[in-house]
Amino acid sequence: MSEKIIVELNNIFKQSDRGIQLFKDLNFSLKAGETAVIVGGAGSGKSSLIELIIGEKFTDEGSIEVFGLQVKKNRKGRLKKIRRKIGGVGGLFSLIPSFTVSENITFPLVLNAEKKAIKKERLFKMLTEFSLLKQAKEYPRKLTRVESSLVQYARASIANQPLLIIDEPLAGLDKYTYKRIFDYLVKVSLSGRSMIVLCSEMPEETIPNTKFYRLENGTLV
Amino acid sequence: MIRVLYILKEFSRNLYRNPGTAFSSFLSLTLLFLLFDLFWVATETSEGFYENLLSDMRMEIYVREDMPDSLIDIMEFNLNQIDGVSAIKYVSKEDARNELIRMVGIDLLAGYETTNPLPRSFILTIVPDKLTSKDLNDIDAHIVSIDGVEQVYYSQHWLGKVESARKIIFQIGMVLGGLIFLTALISSANNLRFMTRFRAVGFHQMRLLGAGKLFMGFPFIIEGMFLGVISSVAGWGILYYGSQKIEFNQFELIFPSLDNIILFCVGAGLLGIISGYLGLRKL
Repeated sequence: MSEKIIVELNNIFKQSDRGIQLFKDLNFSLKAGETAVIVGGAGSGKSSLIELIIGEKFTDEGSIEVFGLQVKKNRKGRLKKIRRKIGGVGGLFSLIPSFTVSENITFPLVLNAEKKAIKKERLFKMLTEFSLLKQAKEYPRKLTRVESSLVQYARASIANQPLLIIDEPLAGLDKYTYKRIFDYLVKVSLSGRSMIVLCSEMPEETIPNTKFYRLENGTLV
Repeated sequence: MIRVLYILKEFSRNLYRNPGTAFSSFLSLTLLFLLFDLFWVATETSEGFYENLLSDMRMEIYVREDMPDSLIDIMEFNLNQIDGVSAIKYVSKEDARNELIRMVGIDLLAGYETTNPLPRSFILTIVPDKLTSKDLNDIDAHIVSIDGVEQVYYSQHWLGKVESARKIIFQIGMVLGGLIFLTALISSANNLRFMTRFRAVGFHQMRLLGAGKLFMGFPFIIEGMFLGVISSVAGWGILYYGSQKIEFNQFELIFPSLDNIILFCVGAGLLGIISGYLGLRKL
């Protein structure tokens, strides 16, 4: 397995907009092919951590590197490059309401200017893999929560994005979907893609190649 | 190619997703352009009217009584040297008398065969470019310095009024044009801003997936350009149709040249692009 570092957070300090200290000297690193499960209660800062990684918010102190690029304010071109390599599910990531399921799934390919034939082929593969063939032309408002979630997984996988960020992947799922999603997470972790999974509770089963972290008092332990 | 297709698809979608907004934008722009077109046609028509009148304008130079006829040719030569004079006609005392008979119908000078009191004169035609108060004043000053000239006459007062009217029309045109430009810009930008606000959630997601502002905004910029062009074309279309339906007996409507109309429509498209950009500034 490659030792290339995909995400690296060094000595991060961050206060929320209301002045609450979210992170204090937080350090984190994720190598290519690794999976990190970060567990933290409500308000522990899980979503804020993701916002920092994808450049939606910025640190007060410390540095963040994703795919070897520093995440900095006023570096919009760089942020676009980083974001195109990330597949996101849940939390911050939702579907584009004005796009159909197919359009939502293929949007990363549109951004990467992939050829039409490739787009068609991969879309079919994703729709089949996530059992979304029937919903392909539906708009998000007509989907159930689980279907929406599956569309997000399909979108996060269609361009083989090297980093997958999943916020609460298993919460509130029925047994069947839980199993499907868990199998998917295992598949991703074995595929060589890197993954950050955020949970409020520790998963019952173990995903391979996984490092576990707990987000407590603004730092990862 | 896939990105271009996406942009075109989104542009057409914008129109049918928000037909009310797109249509109201089209209507308001068409009305604004129509107002401007009307003023433009009125200006062109009045310009044509004035030019017609000005083309008939002549300068009359009366010759002093004591000037011998033998020096008339020298005088004519000197007048011909003046910049802006395109033609000269000499009117002798006899010609003047004949002209008077033609105008009045009878010979008012019957019995005055040897002492015709009518003056000799030259009638100058001036090149169109010099038919301005300033140039005619210069020509006037030049003429009075020529030996044998008694008096120079032309419709100086009338010309001043024409020029003042033209100036006012031009100033109104500038103000009206500026106001229409500003209104079209604000109205179009606000409509686009409204449409982008409507889709704020989607744009936020696109950004998170790595879409740039230009990529997201391009369909709206194209929409602004499209609305600008079709509104301006519609404005001219309505005006042309109206001019065909209504008969004008007193004067003929003069439209700007096709090149100018095309330029105007291109300008309206550019205005749409600018308003698209302004509408998306905070995207």
